[in-house]
Amino acid sequence: MRLLLVEDDPMIGASVRKGLRQDGFAVDWVNDGEAAELAIGQGVYDLMLLDLGLPKKSGLAVLKSLRARGSDLPVLVVTARDAVSERISGLDAGADDYVVKPFDLDELAARIRAVLRRRAGRGDPLLRYGKLEFNPASREVRFDGAAVSLSARELALLEAFLDRPGAVLSRAQLEEKLYGWTQEVESNTVEVYIHGLRKKLGADFIRNVRGVGYMLSGPQ
Amino acid sequence: MTSIRRNLLVWLLAALSAGLFAGAVGIYLQARADANELFDYHLRQVVASLPGRTFPAIIGHETAILEDGTVIQIWDQSGARLYFSHPQARLPERAELGFSTVNTSQGRWRVFSAIVGSNVVQAAQPMHARGQMAAGVALRSTLPFLILFPVLGIAIVFAVRHGLAPLDLLAAGVTTRSAQSLAPIQETGVPEEARGLVHALNGLLVRLGQALEGQRAFIADAAHELRTPLAALKLQMQLVGRAQDADERRAAQAELEAGLARAAHLVDQLLMLARQEPSAPVPATQCALADIACAIVAARAPLALQAGIDLGVKRAAPLILQGDPAALAVMLGNLVDNALRYTPSGGSIDVETYEEDSAIVLEVADSGPGIALDERERVFDRFYRVPGSPGIGSGLGLAIVKRIAQSHSATVLLDERAGGGLRVRVRFPRGT
Repeated sequence: MRLLLVEDDPMIGASVRKGLRQDGFAVDWVNDGEAAELAIGQGVYDLMLLDLGLPKKSGLAVLKSLRARGSDLPVLVVTARDAVSERISGLDAGADDYVVKPFDLDELAARIRAVLRRRAGRGDPLLRYGKLEFNPASREVRFDGAAVSLSARELALLEAFLDRPGAVLSRAQLEEKLYGWTQEVESNTVEVYIHGLRKKLGADFIRNVRGVGYMLSGPQ
Repeated sequence: MTSIRRNLLVWLLAALSAGLFAGAVGIYLQARADANELFDYHLRQVVASLPGRTFPAIIGHETAILEDGTVIQIWDQSGARLYFSHPQARLPERAELGFSTVNTSQGRWRVFSAIVGSNVVQAAQPMHARGQMAAGVALRSTLPFLILFPVLGIAIVFAVRHGLAPLDLLAAGVTTRSAQSLAPIQETGVPEEARGLVHALNGLLVRLGQALEGQRAFIADAAHELRTPLAALKLQMQLVGRAQDADERRAAQAELEAGLARAAHLVDQLLMLARQEPSAPVPATQCALADIACAIVAARAPLALQAGIDLGVKRAAPLILQGDPAALAVMLGNLVDNALRYTPSGGSIDVETYEEDSAIVLEVADSGPGIALDERERVFDRFYRVPGSPGIGSGLGLAIVKRIAQSHSATVLLDERAGGGLRVRVRFPRGT
């Protein structure tokens, strides 16, 4: 899951990015509203964490113009003002949820997962695919009832597949889900992690679509 | 304590009593003058009625006259007393002709003598009779007023109370207000005399309301601004808790410490700003500006050295101004801190004190990025930071500088330093 963090405070931004990366998200961080709009234009994000008090262009204005353009990018608003009117205007402008500063990292991650789950139309917090069960909160994977140990990158890759079951994902798309801007992309890594997943979940769990990318084989 | 009611009552009642007394005295004096005229006429009549009659006839006939205390003496040409109506009366043997007043052992007497035929006739009357009569007249005339006096007194008390009732009503209205109510006092129905006071009070209430509103906004802003460093602290603390190994923990703890330093700095700056409230009087001490400048530069020198910035005093004219040396040091400290924050490594910061156009100037110039023209007003707003500012400033530094400058009647000017960078000049008008 790749998130866009829009936060002007250097300390909060650095901490949130670090914490969410530990929770398995790929996080990009921008400091102001204009940079946020530029980043959104890339279309690679699964969710935006938007602070309302931003320089250059306010968070609310960013959100409104985003929705005016017809984007349904999930947005979680972060605000320092806990006035009810502020929260209402944030939600009415098209936010999916909000957190008030100071907030808890675990709560933030839980809310992000809840928003993503609702957007995917799922009530069940567990992602299921055939015999596979994935818990996005605890990052635990069970296959046929047995716990499977996966590395963080393998988990991120699996999550990307489970998020859009049946879709063919290109190598570039998978890389986007794996790495934020400041993280260096190692060559051949997608292949390495696919190999790891196949080893642990069965060779034909992920199928290669030649010249296009990868997809999950149908649920058995 | 002075009381309008008591003053009015005392003065009105005193004036009424004095008036009554003066009236009574006036009536008495007038009545005595009237009585004098009347009794003199009476004496003249008595004397005039005597000639042509024989003594026995006189005596027999005039008994009635003599009953009112008139004493008659008659002498013949040789001076022998022919008649004395009241031998016990101590009257002079002989009197000059016409009216005279004589003092005797029996009091003052009014005497009239005239030559009637060949005799000298004298009629005399004690003066106290006239006084008694005048006093009687005066008493009778004043009596109704004396009886009316308590009635008038009550009327005055009532009138004063009634006249001052709007003031009591006003006071009651003000005392029953809640401390939070800053609504203006109703000016309609207030008597003309109190309207000025009510108007002034309302003006004060408006100013008080503005001051309170300012305080409230400041507290709200401050609370909001404290949220950000607190939010950062909470996150940094959680990251310390999540650290997997010693290196990670050390890094997280370093960040937590930086977060704490930022929160502490913000609180310090808030306190500084609160201390520079415009209402606080500035202790006027002789301040040697150059000494303050040297002290601040010396204190910041290690920081500048570490950052690779050439910080120094360029010119230190020995100028003295009246002010608060601690506040001036805070002001210059903030300016130098700002310059240190924004000046890149290899840059320079110059502090100067000099005199220009009858003003004492404190100047701090740096080789940093400067402040864009359209930002130069806003940077003085509290909590405002130029977008994209590096570091973790509180947004209060220049607000504090401005506040201190204001309390010293000084102005702060921002412009560009020759060759790029920001130049801040604080101008103290001469004589402060």
